[in-house]
Amino acid sequence: MEEFGGSELARRTLVAAAPRAAWRRPGIMLDRYFTRVAILPTFLVMLGVFGMPLAFSFYLSFTGYGQGQRLFSGGYVWLENYQDLLSDPVFTGSIAITLAYTAAAVAAEMILGLGIALLLNMDLPGIRICRTALIIPMMVTPIVGALCWKLLLDPSHGVINYWIGQHIVWLGRPDTALAAIWIVGVWQSTPYVMLILLAGLRSLPSEPTEAAAIDGASRRQVFWHVTLPLLRPYLLVALLLRTIFEFRAFDNIYAMTGGGPANSTMVLSMFTYLMSFVRFDFGLGAAASWLMLLMALLMCLFFISVIRRREVT
Amino acid sequence: MAQVVGSKRKRGLEAALVYAVLTVLVLAFVFPLIWVLGLSLKTRLQIFSTPPLFLWWPTLENYADVLTRADFGQAFINTMIVSMSAVLLSLCVGVPAAYAFARFPFTGRTFLFFALLVMRMLPPIAVLVPMYVLFSKLGLATTRFSVVLADTTFALPLVVWLMRGFFEDLPAELEESAWIDGASRYRAFWHIVLPLARPGLVAASILCLQLAWNDFLFAAVLTNNATQTLPVMMAAFNAGDSGVDWGGLTASGVLVILPVIIFSFIAQKHLVAGLSSGAIKG
Repeated sequence: MEEFGGSELARRTLVAAAPRAAWRRPGIMLDRYFTRVAILPTFLVMLGVFGMPLAFSFYLSFTGYGQGQRLFSGGYVWLENYQDLLSDPVFTGSIAITLAYTAAAVAAEMILGLGIALLLNMDLPGIRICRTALIIPMMVTPIVGALCWKLLLDPSHGVINYWIGQHIVWLGRPDTALAAIWIVGVWQSTPYVMLILLAGLRSLPSEPTEAAAIDGASRRQVFWHVTLPLLRPYLLVALLLRTIFEFRAFDNIYAMTGGGPANSTMVLSMFTYLMSFVRFDFGLGAAASWLMLLMALLMCLFFISVIRRREVT
Repeated sequence: MAQVVGSKRKRGLEAALVYAVLTVLVLAFVFPLIWVLGLSLKTRLQIFSTPPLFLWWPTLENYADVLTRADFGQAFINTMIVSMSAVLLSLCVGVPAAYAFARFPFTGRTFLFFALLVMRMLPPIAVLVPMYVLFSKLGLATTRFSVVLADTTFALPLVVWLMRGFFEDLPAELEESAWIDGASRYRAFWHIVLPLARPGLVAASILCLQLAWNDFLFAAVLTNNATQTLPVMMAAFNAGDSGVDWGGLTASGVLVILPVIIFSFIAQKHLVAGLSSGAIKG
């Protein structure tokens, strides 16, 4: 906060030093509104491409709007869209699948990411190459990564079935499809967790660990009672970010199963997509997306409260 | 990590174990991509041979096929146009705002800042449904411009969060002395702050470029055959269930991810700050 004090002082100096007549010059008049001018475009974009569409979709969710209608011509159906959704087993099922998938993916990414970060944090020669290699999956265009995995998992020509010596139709069976998508998600996103936690480990002070070791703590004790508590803020950020991003999972599922077989991989994003852009029922789509938004918003607010607490301390 | 206890031999054993585990992990994480790269260098017969070939004389015919396809060239150009424009728009709009967030107090500052974060975090499909309806009424629905606008909803918060961090790290004295010397806020920003923040600008543009380049959902809904981007075209390869062209799919996949991987390595230092939305400085 010191900067503000400094710049405020400088501003007053500037105002005091400026000759009176100079204030009539438009340049200096404009200068007084610098902050507003700088913020305005961002504010407009936020309102135009984010706030307005969301408000419009809130309105849409109470109407029966199909494609080809005029903008505000959809008749009000009030809560019918929401009622339809909540009594639709596919939709309620998709909530359960989304939550289960998110929990499973985030748990695996956190555990694996933490393990890899701990290994990479050791000062051994050549470890940078490993780090570089391990972050590649995260840079790959998600849809391309998913399509690649689809080829690997191909029932007759895929290399995975060749190795395990079985003919498993991974993406065609309700019991394996979600697991396959989970593997791809974990493959893609573990590097995120790993990078965040590695940054955290690097920023930890070394004194507490050393002190504990000198006091005779075993390495396991140091890990559980010193390193992990110190790493807590980073773990929390990684956990929340991954939860928010896995909750919206779409690309992999679109590329690999399209929500099938038998809706076993129908996550909320996929459901909303199919409702809106395949069935073109925008009223239902908007209602589904608002329910999804509310859930995501809760997670966001939690995330924000965590960051704010960190910024204060 | 401090190693207070442990003999030399024990430490050597431990290092060997760490290397062994890391090697297995690296192989597991990189194998799918290596295998796909291999597939892209095989002929059709070699791709489908059982058992799979592990040694063969590589061929570039798949790449030649893909690169001579008219729609690949068009999609490549579209992707370039869309992602460059999204980067440019987000930078022009977001960088001044980031500077204001970093330096000047104003009413609604905290609210606006966290609203931006929410914008980055909400599921894209939820924004896309109303966007599609509105854009199609405005006649924008199948244009590249609509994808640029949609991508901006996620690129802009990234720019603001990242650049705010960079501006906060710059010493305020430099601009202040410029103001006292009579420079306007605009001149000080343009001639003093921006040149100093160049590394930040580079990192922000690369991360936005990655975001826009990799986007599938927005482009899939908001484009048609003429304006489709590479990820959309890739998904279309997959659509014909009867005969997925493995050679074409893998070769174009490699071509799509190659630029992104190169960009990302350039901005590696800033990846952490970018992907944690500024919650952690890398």
